[in-house]
Amino acid sequence: MLRYTVKRLLQLAVALLGLSLLLFAWFKALPGGPENRLLPENATDQQREALRAALGLDEPVWVQYGEFLGRIVRLDFGSSLSSGRPIATELADRLPATIELSLAAMVIAVGIGIPLGYLAARRRGTWIDFGSVSGSLVGVCIPVFFLAAMLKVVFAQELGWLPTAFRLSAGASYTEVTGLRVLDGIITGEFDIAADAFLHLVLPAMALSSIPLAVIVRITRASVLDVVGEDYVRTADAKGLKPGTIRGRHVMRNAMLPIVTVIGLLLGSLFSGAVLTESVFAFGGIGSFVYQATTERDYPALMGFILIIAVSYVVLNLIVDLSYGFLDPRVRVRK
Amino acid sequence: MALLEVEDLRVAFGAATAVDGVSFAVDEGKVVGLVGESGCGKSVTSLAIMGLLPKGKGRKARAAKSRNGKVPAQAEATGPEGTGPEGAAGDGAVPPGHGGAVAATPQGIAVGRRSNRGGADVSGRAAFDGVDLLTLPPAAMRRRRGADLAMVFQDPLSSLNPVVPVGRQITEVLERHRGLKGDKAVKEAANLLDRVGIPDPLRRLKEYPHQLSGGMRQRVLIAIAVACAPRLLIADEPTTALDVTIQAQILELLKDLVDSEGTALLMITHDLGVVAGICDEVNVLYSGRVVESAPVRDLFARPTHPYTVGLLGSIPRLDLGTHEPLTPIRGSIADVIRWKDGCAFAPRCDRVAPACVEGEPALVGAPHAHRCVMAEEIA
Repeated sequence: MLRYTVKRLLQLAVALLGLSLLLFAWFKALPGGPENRLLPENATDQQREALRAALGLDEPVWVQYGEFLGRIVRLDFGSSLSSGRPIATELADRLPATIELSLAAMVIAVGIGIPLGYLAARRRGTWIDFGSVSGSLVGVCIPVFFLAAMLKVVFAQELGWLPTAFRLSAGASYTEVTGLRVLDGIITGEFDIAADAFLHLVLPAMALSSIPLAVIVRITRASVLDVVGEDYVRTADAKGLKPGTIRGRHVMRNAMLPIVTVIGLLLGSLFSGAVLTESVFAFGGIGSFVYQATTERDYPALMGFILIIAVSYVVLNLIVDLSYGFLDPRVRVRK
Repeated sequence: MALLEVEDLRVAFGAATAVDGVSFAVDEGKVVGLVGESGCGKSVTSLAIMGLLPKGKGRKARAAKSRNGKVPAQAEATGPEGTGPEGAAGDGAVPPGHGGAVAATPQGIAVGRRSNRGGADVSGRAAFDGVDLLTLPPAAMRRRRGADLAMVFQDPLSSLNPVVPVGRQITEVLERHRGLKGDKAVKEAANLLDRVGIPDPLRRLKEYPHQLSGGMRQRVLIAIAVACAPRLLIADEPTTALDVTIQAQILELLKDLVDSEGTALLMITHDLGVVAGICDEVNVLYSGRVVESAPVRDLFARPTHPYTVGLLGSIPRLDLGTHEPLTPIRGSIADVIRWKDGCAFAPRCDRVAPACVEGEPALVGAPHAHRCVMAEEIA
């Protein structure tokens, strides 16, 4: 297992290096460099040259890449061209909100999706099956921003059951620990804060969970159908084991392999996909930041964002691979 | 009374009849063979006895009809698939008391289970120590499976869970039926592995199926099957997936277990060599029915049914020249032919006579029984 982990970590380093090269090349290739954004249109060529020199853009490409690499290793993405604040600080301020939202959405998707997918498979051909399969089709088809807006109108504005926006009620005093506010509230014992943050989280998380929920229902159903036809499930049955044991130890443990892969990838997509949901609920995550950075051609900010997303994908993939080793002994012992 | 008495067992998948009225008995301490080619219904027979066939939900209309005694809820009474309520309920998903329609028939109590997608209609009787296994509720059957009667499957790799250590796959059955937990269960599992001839059992217990050889996997499956000292062991082609040298070892092991414990063994095989080596009695199956049934020596000495004759004739012989062609049985098994219209083997039989297709041939004679109207002429 150690050997497997080390191997995966080395692969991770290579993947990240390739990623940085790709990012760097991409930003170099983009038309209209940052000097055009920072200087007025009537700036002289000397002014442009001076700024390029100041930004280090006149150095040879490989020197620029070296510096770029050095900076990102130190998590120094430069300063935002719009706010002037360091990108790392901007992202660090906003990231916890997005992480909290994504995790909450995933908890909903996994918590409902796996049992529902299992039921659909075991009651194949019944209304549970048809309902969950067609429901998941609808879930995939509805645009997230539309679902978010609908949920907000119905449950927040019309029924008034849940707050319409933000992460906490106005005036709530809050002690930050991890930035995940529900968790923070529980850690610091401010349970009213935790409850308040939780209520604010419900609608955005529901909206964001629709697609992963649908995908997880379908993959679970397919995977369980695959596994229940296997000979070893029949063997388990021939042993006279209780249905719960057969379900847990023999069906689900095998069926989890493809599900775990999909969960890892979905979590990565949630991270970047939270942008729309966040804007509907003014959730204050990296979504609004990225939106602004894109419209204002704030390259360092975009670079930082893309890097964060890419790294999170790579890391999530690593976690998926490692959990594979944990779930499937055939992967573990492979030399 | 024999330990296992199968009477008029019928299994149908929708309109297709797989087992068409099979009867045989297995005495304690005896090895009984079920022999036949692929598709003759031998595996389905064993799965039906174990209660491992996918069942459909009982259908109310059918149940009501059956109670009136109009429809004997048997295989032939089954309409085409897909007319019943949808839903494949696996084992354990069927609520007790919902498992099928119980009907009084001339044969006694028969149970009809409404099939749906892939579900099986099972009827007849499979009495184990006097208790009909086919009418037991699922929970009661689960308590017996793995304890009173156990099964060894054909493909040892796919029959073991790839992500659970073999030790756990043995201890779970000890835990379930013998109440052994923790160290006690592990110790007993090691004993079992030792008994089936696996060296270094404590190390092997921690390994996964893919780390074991084919022969060892089959030994593990046998260890699981004998873990709770079952009175009946069903082995479905236990040597088919193995090398010839390993086959002999596994047969030897099964024979030893039967001899030492007095276990009854039902041996499902297509291999007459296996039959000759291990069985006391043989039932030859063709197209879902027993066509010949005899003590093993009798069968090999005086095969009576043309199908049995053909099977024995198609075995390669060492005393014939190497260029001597094998003698096959022409044609292949057909599932559309019904026994009630005549002998199902008639289209492939070299000695077919008009009498063969003039109605259902009966199984006659004891202890050497055959189902052939031409038997006297052949003999």
